[in-house]
Amino acid sequence: MLYSAFNGLVVGIFYALMALGLSLILGLNGVINFAHGTFMALGGYLAFTLEPYIGFWGGLVVAPLLAVVVGLAVERFLIRPLYGRDPLFSLLLTFGLAMIMQDVIRTIWGSIGQPFALPNYLNSPLSSSMFFLTGFRLVVIAITVLVTGALFAVLRYSRIGIRIRAGNADLETISSLGVNIFFLRAANFGIGIFLAGVAGILAAGQLGLSPTIGDSLIMPAFVAIIVGGVGSLMGSVLGGLIIGIASGLTAAFFPVAQEVVIYVIMAVVLVIRPRGLLGQEGLFE
Amino acid sequence: MDFVNSASFNRRGLLKAGAAAGVSSLVLPQVTWGASEKPVKIGMIDPRTGVYAPAGHNEIIGATMAVDEINKKGGILGRPVQLLVEDDNSLPGPAVSKAQKLVAEDKVNFLMGTVNSAASESLSQFALQHEMLFVDTGGHADDVTGSKCHWTTFRTCSTTWMLTAGDFKTLFSKFGKKWFFIVPDYAFGHALYKDYMVQLKKAGGEAVGHALAPLGTTDFSSYLIRARAAKPDVLICLQAGDDLVNLLKQAVQFGLDKQIAIAGALQEIEVLQALPKAALLGWWTFEWYWNQPGVPHVADFVTEVKKRSGGKVPTARTWFGYSTAHAIAMAANQAKSLDSLKVVKALEGMELPPEVALQPGKVHYRAEDHQMMANMFPGYVPKDASYPNLFKVADVIPSESIALSPAAAGCKMTYPS
Repeated sequence: MLYSAFNGLVVGIFYALMALGLSLILGLNGVINFAHGTFMALGGYLAFTLEPYIGFWGGLVVAPLLAVVVGLAVERFLIRPLYGRDPLFSLLLTFGLAMIMQDVIRTIWGSIGQPFALPNYLNSPLSSSMFFLTGFRLVVIAITVLVTGALFAVLRYSRIGIRIRAGNADLETISSLGVNIFFLRAANFGIGIFLAGVAGILAAGQLGLSPTIGDSLIMPAFVAIIVGGVGSLMGSVLGGLIIGIASGLTAAFFPVAQEVVIYVIMAVVLVIRPRGLLGQEGLFE
Repeated sequence: MDFVNSASFNRRGLLKAGAAAGVSSLVLPQVTWGASEKPVKIGMIDPRTGVYAPAGHNEIIGATMAVDEINKKGGILGRPVQLLVEDDNSLPGPAVSKAQKLVAEDKVNFLMGTVNSAASESLSQFALQHEMLFVDTGGHADDVTGSKCHWTTFRTCSTTWMLTAGDFKTLFSKFGKKWFFIVPDYAFGHALYKDYMVQLKKAGGEAVGHALAPLGTTDFSSYLIRARAAKPDVLICLQAGDDLVNLLKQAVQFGLDKQIAIAGALQEIEVLQALPKAALLGWWTFEWYWNQPGVPHVADFVTEVKKRSGGKVPTARTWFGYSTAHAIAMAANQAKSLDSLKVVKALEGMELPPEVALQPGKVHYRAEDHQMMANMFPGYVPKDASYPNLFKVADVIPSESIALSPAAAGCKMTYPS
């Protein structure tokens, strides 16, 4: 039971990482980014292609940056014209974009999965009793903690971070105060995509790298945001952890329900506290 | 007007396939069709997207190649053959709606395809309602040619029973009698589990547990924790496609391969190809293998497929698509008709010629239940496996020697009067 709870925690940390990027983009850009999963796949594939040249760790840094380049182009030419319109527009746009990007990936790398390998020293359990704690999973935890910490530091202390937070609260006011909100939104979108790229590479470490790798991961990330509260980054992290542990525990006692339990939690949260655990008031109320 | 491109894809594959067919038509003599010849249409429903996209991809390559060959040899009843491919997203719902489209709008004459067993079952039912021949290329669940067999349905790939019987004895004697199963939670997985259990109980073994994992599961850690806690002799992985890739990758990361033997029923190149070196392991059954020294025509087939697939060797899936399209054309030509019942009668018991069978023995569709009788290729993934030498065939077992009889499989065929 302790195993299962702890295992769920590890899974939850990964959900949190995915949810962070998604939540960031949802907050300032006001875009429900359905293409997030495909950006994850893109990050994974780029890292796979770069791996022979710059290694796993090099890929972990460079590939997400390349994904950001694509992300910025998408933001500039596709998403920017839709700011100020009903969020439904950008939702439909990213939904379609996800399909197009997936087909592009399929055309370039093929529909057959690619053998993305981890360095050997990450690819084994640390001890035989805690066998589900592999070197790789520790890396996932470390990276998530690191990235989350860095993100919060940036948002708390840097000028751009403060502006992003201010923009979240009231975009019109900071715009009239002379902040270039277009730049701000683009930067924010870029950071979100960077997180997607990192999550994609980490996902490819334990899953088969196929064009659809992000599809089944994106739903738990959305649920994490809704549970944690739209507009709150801390909430997204918390939401990820909660649904991870819940599904880990359910797996131990009532395995059939381990998929459904995260949606039950979402439903309960939506009924009792529609804004989510740490969400801002008013978004869904 | 010449009829050049025999396979028309209605999606992205068009350009690539068109270019390939165009190039091949320059070098090879081509039968020229008159503009007035109305093509015979084969509707193919196979996944280009979803969990089973890689398998579908190869079935489509095989079928396309067969249709090109059929057209070079005069088509069906002197008419060109056209292959219309639709994507079912690896799911039964879209499979049926695409079949509806193929039948109602494109007016196809025959149906073939599918990888997901649930899609095969749905299409089998659909084809019966429309009294149209449907050849299941790659959905394995027993009942397609068993309790739910229909006069309109044939199947090229093996049954789940054959998949389990192909390597049961080897696994049992090699690894021991305590088995733990990780089962994909739908038709295919349930059928495999049931079939292994029948044989395991008979042999005096026991299942120390089983876990049902939904199709498309990404995180297998909780199942693996349960598997290890049960202390089995062997962990049987019944997943296919991307699910099996995920499961094996994670089992190896957890070091389970060092404590428990890992094995299963169906294994395919599409899966092994996507695995990193550390996760290449286990005992499995292949349904066809590209490396069959001394078997006529196989090497030529491999060379030809490589030309079409960017140097990739054919897989069992490629052969399913290839042999199925050829079988349909041969049956129609033999029946001298496109009438479903006549073609069905011609296909019953029909033996594939060596250049289509591409394996030893008498390869034919069994008349009583329409199940293909070919061979099973049980074996293991060698330590030094690397593409394309990913599997070591330990034995070639004629399917007929292990298949359930039509009566035991529960097939009672009824024909329209």
